[in-house]
Amino acid sequence: MTGTIAHVGPEIPQRLLRATGRHAGAIAFDPDRATSAADRWMESKFAPWAKSILEGWACEEYIAHSHIVFSRADDSAQRLYYYICELQRRGLLSGPEPVILDIAKVPRESSLAHTAQSLKKLADRLGVGVDDLVAAGAPSPHGVTDLERPVCLLAGTPPPDRRLHDAIETAGYGAAGATLVESWGLLDYAIDPALGDPFETLARQVHVSPHGPRAFIDAGANLISQIEVLGAAAAVLWQIEEDEAQAWHLPAQRAALERAGIPSLVLTRRDWLARDGAAEEIVAFLSGVGA
Amino acid sequence: MTAGPGIRSRKTLACTAEATAFQKAFGQELKRKVVEEGEPFVIAQADTPHEIFHAMDIPVIANQWWSAYISAKQLSARYFDAMVEAGYPANSCKYCSLGLACTLANDPATAPWGGLPTPTVLVARLTCDCIQHVFGQWAQAMGTDFFPMEAPAWEHKEVHWYTRSNSEWEEVYEEDRIALMMRETEDLIALLERKTGRTLDLGKLTLLMDRINEQEQYLWEAAQAIGEARPCPVSIAEQMPNTMIPQWHRGSDWAVEHARKFRDEVRERVAHGLGASTNEKLRLMWIGAGVWHDPGFYQALEETKGAVFVWSMYLPFAGPQYIREVKGKPMEALASRICSINEVLHLPPWMNGWMTSEAERCGIDAAVMLLPPDNRLSQSGNKLTALALEEAGVPVLMIDADMVDAKNWDHDAMVALVADFLAGRGLA
Repeated sequence: MTGTIAHVGPEIPQRLLRATGRHAGAIAFDPDRATSAADRWMESKFAPWAKSILEGWACEEYIAHSHIVFSRADDSAQRLYYYICELQRRGLLSGPEPVILDIAKVPRESSLAHTAQSLKKLADRLGVGVDDLVAAGAPSPHGVTDLERPVCLLAGTPPPDRRLHDAIETAGYGAAGATLVESWGLLDYAIDPALGDPFETLARQVHVSPHGPRAFIDAGANLISQIEVLGAAAAVLWQIEEDEAQAWHLPAQRAALERAGIPSLVLTRRDWLARDGAAEEIVAFLSGVGA
Repeated sequence: MTAGPGIRSRKTLACTAEATAFQKAFGQELKRKVVEEGEPFVIAQADTPHEIFHAMDIPVIANQWWSAYISAKQLSARYFDAMVEAGYPANSCKYCSLGLACTLANDPATAPWGGLPTPTVLVARLTCDCIQHVFGQWAQAMGTDFFPMEAPAWEHKEVHWYTRSNSEWEEVYEEDRIALMMRETEDLIALLERKTGRTLDLGKLTLLMDRINEQEQYLWEAAQAIGEARPCPVSIAEQMPNTMIPQWHRGSDWAVEHARKFRDEVRERVAHGLGASTNEKLRLMWIGAGVWHDPGFYQALEETKGAVFVWSMYLPFAGPQYIREVKGKPMEALASRICSINEVLHLPPWMNGWMTSEAERCGIDAAVMLLPPDNRLSQSGNKLTALALEEAGVPVLMIDADMVDAKNWDHDAMVALVADFLAGRGLA
């Protein structure tokens, strides 16, 4: 096989992609670009990054890739997969082959078995065997938060880049919290072949992963746990207008933050590109916390 | 201007009044069973295997029916406000969350039936990113179990799926997907048996599947008659209750008999040349869920413009998506019915493939499409379907409105929008 492989969406095991020897990372996209082609095909409630990717696809920016792997663990990602397949069928798009990783998250044995089956299917398709999977290189180190300063966790919708992190740092805090592309690479754990079939191990990692919108977790407890691990002094909960999953966690997360006594700023229904003054609000909030 | 509650629809079929009366009586009986007698019951999304509940004699409240019931009592705005007061953003998806909103409002004095008692279980397929949170929180608020069912990816893509879905369902819907739903259904049955003490009789399920096939065949024959007839004998305002009310009770003696009576009444009107409008000039297609708060919208242009809504998904869907050759495998056949019931209506290529074919079958002149602003699932596939319809020569109007939230709906303005669109495209 030739050509590189990129991925779209959360909870795709990075180890499996790395084992292909052709993984180019998450698909590249420009969040600020106009999306005139994508707007003709895609509706308003999709995550904005889905439109940026569709626009990039229409502009033939992904022709170096042979495959793009989409995650079923995110609704915009999985629908984008169907849209691209259809547009290719109709001759309106060309480019790499879209592939979907069918991740099942329900906490039952049937979903775990289905996810294991899906991982094996994807591995077969990409030419990855058990030995390749075990031998795949170590996970790349995640970004390190500046622990010299008090830390503020940016949670909620993963932002397109570090523009909100920059606002946190402007206010004198170390900024923690994954950007969108970073969040798509979080499922990257070691595999111990002594523990049994590596694909079964991988499936268990995917099945219980808390990193996507379809995770079965206590969102309030999960947020507090992140804050405690980081020793964060404050939190910003930022959700965009198009988000459909995070919104349902809001009461539980607010209550958890209040119980834990963590200073927090909650911003809902916000602009993906932060053109609505979110950065200024974050700076003002953190200045108040520090005062 | 007529804003808010909307206009009642005009009914001409005897069947329509019978269906409405049956459902009203059923609602009272259901209330007696579950509220007054404390019988076990289930709250389930429409796209779950209701056949299992029917075969086990466990009453089921369909979330969509309960939402429509709350809407009809003009309580939706009040409950959505209660959601905001509880800390949810005002743009959270509304279609599936009205029942949760009613429970969280916790106001027995005004809630229908004084509010629902605790169900045995809540069941939903995870077709979007919000439903698991809505149903999970609803179950938690009611102190009961939530049984989520997967909506797995679908790689075998057939544009003309509807031509062989009745018989070759193993290939059309993928055996792995059917197998997953089978395993989940078995787990659901085990949970129901454990919590209610009732058991599933596979023979009873097989018989039910046969009766459902009979019912859906009648509905499909009615859909075919409506597609062929000029003028259209029955507007979608009457197609919807005569399809959906039997669909909630599918396979029961009443539902099968009602479907037959509806088909016969449609055929009788066709035979006598009776139309929904006395002035049919344009045949319109409605794409999306019904605007439950303004059913009169669909008939507003029948006499003035001769524009008749002859197609909505509910009736013709009975043919390709419900009828199944059972082949001695009732559980598999059932799984094949349920495992893509939402996907074929909201994802390409299934949605655009079927709707373009239906537009041709029914001689559609123009389509009106609902784009709910806060609901990705309901929006999904619409633009690609509009593109396909336009390419097939069917002009499409997309309107931003919600099917259960009447806040942004203005009857007169919406009717004028359709009239202007038809005029603008040189149709009226």
